[in-house]
Amino acid sequence: MDQEFMAQVETKVTAPTETPERGASAMQLKNVAVSFHGRTAVRDCTFNITKNRVTSLIGPSGSGKTTLLRALNRLHDLTPGAKVAGQILLEGTDIYRGDITVTELRTRVGMVFQRPNPFPTMSIYENAVSGLRFNGVKKKALLDEAAETSLKSAALWDSVQNRLKVAASNLSGGEQQRLCIARALAMDPEVLLMDEPTSALDPIATLKIEELMTELKKRVTVIIVTHNMQQAARISDDCAFLLMGEDRAGELIEFDTTEKIFNNPIDPRTLDYTLGRFG
Amino acid sequence: MSGMIELEEPKAAEHQMRDEIRQISDKVRRRRQLRSTMMVALCAIALCITAVPLFLLLYQLFNRGLPVVLHPGFYTQLPQTPNLITPNATGGISNAIIGTLVLSLYASIMAIPVGVLVGIYLAESDSKLAASLRVIAQTMAGAPSILMGLFAFSFIIRDLHIGFSALAGSFALAVLMLPVIIISSEIAVRGVPNTLREAGLALGAKPHKVSMKIVLPAALTGIVTGIILAISRAIGETAPVLLVIGGGYINSWKPLDPVAAMPLSIYENAKSEWPSLRTEVWGIALVLVVFVFVLSLSARIWASRKQQAR
Repeated sequence: MDQEFMAQVETKVTAPTETPERGASAMQLKNVAVSFHGRTAVRDCTFNITKNRVTSLIGPSGSGKTTLLRALNRLHDLTPGAKVAGQILLEGTDIYRGDITVTELRTRVGMVFQRPNPFPTMSIYENAVSGLRFNGVKKKALLDEAAETSLKSAALWDSVQNRLKVAASNLSGGEQQRLCIARALAMDPEVLLMDEPTSALDPIATLKIEELMTELKKRVTVIIVTHNMQQAARISDDCAFLLMGEDRAGELIEFDTTEKIFNNPIDPRTLDYTLGRFG
Repeated sequence: MSGMIELEEPKAAEHQMRDEIRQISDKVRRRRQLRSTMMVALCAIALCITAVPLFLLLYQLFNRGLPVVLHPGFYTQLPQTPNLITPNATGGISNAIIGTLVLSLYASIMAIPVGVLVGIYLAESDSKLAASLRVIAQTMAGAPSILMGLFAFSFIIRDLHIGFSALAGSFALAVLMLPVIIISSEIAVRGVPNTLREAGLALGAKPHKVSMKIVLPAALTGIVTGIILAISRAIGETAPVLLVIGGGYINSWKPLDPVAAMPLSIYENAKSEWPSLRTEVWGIALVLVVFVFVLSLSARIWASRKQQAR
């Protein structure tokens, strides 16, 4: 890595200082950039994601939040023309160049999508254990246990334990999204990526998922993309603010604790955004 | 005071304008209503033009076919050639019924696995190979069906020396079914939302697992509908089997035996000089229509049940 360039980046962006209250990093992003067919979609992302905290990625549409998030579990791999530059470290190993296979990486970095997407041909139970089955787990006892634990962690067990064999599409939108969370949790991931997980849900279902996140961070590091600034303020501990640059590529403007981003940001654009002056 | 007048003046002008707009829109509305009525009438006429031949066909089919199919022997006996002493002894069409079942069964065994897999491949890959396969499938779908018969004749019978057989006929039908199954499978697989694929990948599933465990089940109703469509088409085809099945006068399920087929029996009987054999064609046609109808109806019921279960 170019030392001089790194130094520039760190002065431009607020350096993620390792303050004592902050634990070890779950993931580290170093000068990450994503481009499609040579056009940069997001760049200059350097920050650390601390274990057992909720990190939110905020910014207006087109600022590259989702693009950045999808780089963290290599979901761009199958997109033709997509290229990820820089370094993304998971527990110190570069996920693009290290000896982790992409499938192993994705079992360690789970993901919840914008719209609830349970597998329509599977039952609630089958959905919950689908990841384990895809990865070759066949033992009934193990699957049963994983289903119960993950559905409990997603606060869904009580309402579905008597209808586990029912098709997942019979659930409400909020329940479906919690099933998707359970499905990801069943893999026991270290990091959980959430791409605007509540944008398709009503306020009550949203609240439930937000409550869940506070519970979840005890066992998993959460990274969430959100359009909703109140949500970012309510649930996240750290916050990365991205903005579309002159050439329509997103870039990291500021990264800090959520409290600092919302109350006392360094960059004036961050303040403008969090106050709702644009975006 | 002058301020109030200023306020009222634009109001009056506004009213005038509104009235004018209403008058114009009344005219426009009347014209549109007239046009709408005319269009509905045209549609009704078009519907009648379409429906009349269909109902005439169905009437002919049942009127002439029903007396034939009501004889139980029609289904169980082998065909007989009438003679001057017994001009009405036509026997049955058991060989043709079995032949049609055998042909569509073997053709399905050949065409379905290959067709579905190629369809999935075309939907999931954007390689050059996939693009050229798609063009081939589309061209084959439009090819005249007699071509498949010629191909089966020269390949199976002339080159491989297999002889007139159910195998040769079902090979021709399989070639005919293949593009239909490929194209409909591709469409069904493409219809599966990408978010489901991503969900599978994000759980660490390998791409082939995503295809087989997520995409294929989600696309199943569409794929099966395409298969049924292909079988229905193959059942009714005469041209591909004309040259290759040998028109066997026995009841046989063996792939290497010559077999008969219902469409071919219709063709043969219609050419016959015996009136009794010519009457029989409507019976065979009715059986054939019922076959295809039951097949597509059961597929529809199955698909809608499957859809409801979701």
